[in-house]
Amino acid sequence: MPDAQRPDIRLTGVSKSFGGPAGEIPAVAPLDLRLAGGSMTALVGPSGCGKSTLLRLIAGLERPSTGEIRIGEETPDDLRKRAALSVAFQDAALLPWRTVAGNVALGRSLARRPRDAGAVSELIELVGLSGFEGRRPAELSGGMRQRAAIARAMASAPELLLLDEPFGALDELTRDRLNAELPALWEAHGATSVLVTHSVAEAVRLADRILVLSPRPARIAADIAVDLPRPRDGVVLASEAFRETCGQVSAALRDGQPPGRLAAQ
Amino acid sequence: MSGAVAQRGGRVARVPGSGLIVALLAVVAWEVVARLTAQSFFIAAPSAILAHMVDHAGLLWRAFAVTLWAAVRGFVWGNLAGVLMALLVVLVPRAERLVSTLALLVFCLPLVATGPILRVLYGPGEGPQVTLAALAVYYTTFLPVLVGLRAAPQGWFDLVRSYGRGRLVALREVRLPAALPYLVAGLQIAAPAAFLGAMVGEFTGAERGLGVLTVRALRALDLPATWSIAVIASAVSVLAFAAVGWAGRRLDLAPPQVLLAAPLETRQSRWRGPGEALLALVVTLVLWKGAMELFALPRFFAKRPEDVWAYMVSGPGAEAHRAKLLGAMAETLAFTAPGYLAGLALGAGLAVALTLAPRAAALTMPVAIALRSIPIVATAPLIVWALGREAAGTIAVVAVMIFFPTLVACLHGLARTPRAVLDLFEVYAAGRWRRMLGAQLPAMLPAFFASARMAIPAAILAVTTAEWLATGRGVGALMATVASTSDYGMLWSAIALIGLVAVCVHGLVAALERWVLARTNAEQLAR
Repeated sequence: MPDAQRPDIRLTGVSKSFGGPAGEIPAVAPLDLRLAGGSMTALVGPSGCGKSTLLRLIAGLERPSTGEIRIGEETPDDLRKRAALSVAFQDAALLPWRTVAGNVALGRSLARRPRDAGAVSELIELVGLSGFEGRRPAELSGGMRQRAAIARAMASAPELLLLDEPFGALDELTRDRLNAELPALWEAHGATSVLVTHSVAEAVRLADRILVLSPRPARIAADIAVDLPRPRDGVVLASEAFRETCGQVSAALRDGQPPGRLAAQ
Repeated sequence: MSGAVAQRGGRVARVPGSGLIVALLAVVAWEVVARLTAQSFFIAAPSAILAHMVDHAGLLWRAFAVTLWAAVRGFVWGNLAGVLMALLVVLVPRAERLVSTLALLVFCLPLVATGPILRVLYGPGEGPQVTLAALAVYYTTFLPVLVGLRAAPQGWFDLVRSYGRGRLVALREVRLPAALPYLVAGLQIAAPAAFLGAMVGEFTGAERGLGVLTVRALRALDLPATWSIAVIASAVSVLAFAAVGWAGRRLDLAPPQVLLAAPLETRQSRWRGPGEALLALVVTLVLWKGAMELFALPRFFAKRPEDVWAYMVSGPGAEAHRAKLLGAMAETLAFTAPGYLAGLALGAGLAVALTLAPRAAALTMPVAIALRSIPIVATAPLIVWALGREAAGTIAVVAVMIFFPTLVACLHGLARTPRAVLDLFEVYAAGRWRRMLGAQLPAMLPAFFASARMAIPAAILAVTTAEWLATGRGVGALMATVASTSDYGMLWSAIALIGLVAVCVHGLVAALERWVLARTNAEQLAR
């Protein structure tokens, strides 16, 4: 259903802190946020600022300490229960005893979708792993594992796609190619997506909106809309507007830092 | 992912055919030594053993088939029980301490005491052998499978949860496949242990089987017969160990995951440990009494906890009973403790030495793995014959029993030193000793402590069997005597005391392990 309007994600007063032996450590400061359905939002911030925690909260893998999260009328748990969301994990989380094809197929079977070998091999081809279907994760490079993890996340055709630094271990060329090819795929069925990334250029290229987070506990330091035309081909990437937006995000990242601290990016 | 870096460095190059040459030389040396020491009467020459086997081929074959069939059934039941217990602990984590303590307690029950009791319970037939074979294997399967069921990074469970699937799907997709290599390792240890358990079961009044022939040969001081049975038992054990290993490799399992992340700290009440120990004690007593009442076992031989209490503490003659049992126990412990420590020290020491001299390790490792699977207990009479009935013989039996598993476990532990850590030491051109102390010894510690814990039941089994079969001293001999004179009060008291001592020593070793690992390998404390 390519044109169906996806519901918005609403966070009201959401905060998260972790209990440790030394007391509670706040990871995410209270947030009020609305992410438009069908759009892609990028979360950018320094290492360890709590952006992955925020992603896990939206996925329902962590409970917020306060506040609530709704996707339309549903909670993240409701969404998970009907297998309408999927996560591409930072560390790929491929099962080592399954082949690449087996891991991608797992994305369908965990989502209770019927087997479809054709769809699986299409996805594998799309992420550039053709010829590696029968390999185990241990035989793959870090970047190949991440591509397999992305293919698995897309295999269930999710309504909500959560990408946790999915391109982190990729070389510049592959990253560029996936940045060019993958958006078409999730735009095709209008998935709402949230991307955690370190790369300013990647955020600007992929996202409709960029949230720059401050160091822990995560607060929104800047909220930048990206109005560049799609598809964002070479012409767009070479444009003044693109560079301007990148500069804006980088500046916000620097401003979000306490003085004397190194930005991660 | 750390799976790719793990499990390297453990392979050793093998010179083709060298194993065969070494084996041939060993047989020749054996023959020579046996002929030279013919008067001292404890080594049978290979030629004499072969002659005995040929002369009694039919008898040996029939006995072997009986024992093997009992061992196979015990293997199936014991491993089934071990796997189910591990599943129970994973699905009901709160039950862990209780299940683990009970499993350990039952595993520590000396086979030489449970044998006669099972014999009375089952009557004639193969029930006791099968039960003892099962008892000999369930624990060594339970422990690794439990570790395997948990050896999965959090990310894999998050993956399952992110699709809204529950614990059963996590069990099917993540835990069970992750546990498979650990199950194979457990089954590999279990295969020879089952054969040993069946043999010990036959010691206690079976009609047929290799165990019966062993007892007969020992009584008659029939040297070639004793050696023949030891050779057969050893060959079966090595073959069973190798066969399970081969089957495991055929499955082409993904290597086990090395978890490098420290576990989340959980706040625990300081009363939790003692509370769980008390609970385990109460449950043990309830099960003990409950089972006997449920099956209405005659009080004459099925002593309840209160009968043991009366026998040892409050009843008539309790003081004499106590003195007798504690005296025998003290004698046993005086032999067990040095043997236990010597076995651990020799195993770990040789592992370190072999790692410092990798060429020697390439030759020794296959031999050590083969020897580990030999039922030392079946050869215990031979060791006692060789070293005498005094301390040396018993200490040697215990030490040898513990030595091989410790050596193999420590070598595996040393080989699991992360590649990246070794590379770091390489970059700074650190010497062998520096690397050993800084990188490899800490990597070996978890394996060392695991084998120190597993060695406790092994030591009890070794010492009681040696005392019972050969030396005629200590608590093992006491149990044999009272079992044959139907002094069941003393038998049950001895069992209870051994169980108590085993659990206490285990607790002591586990506490030491936590204390040391908390300082060196915090990530390994994830339970």
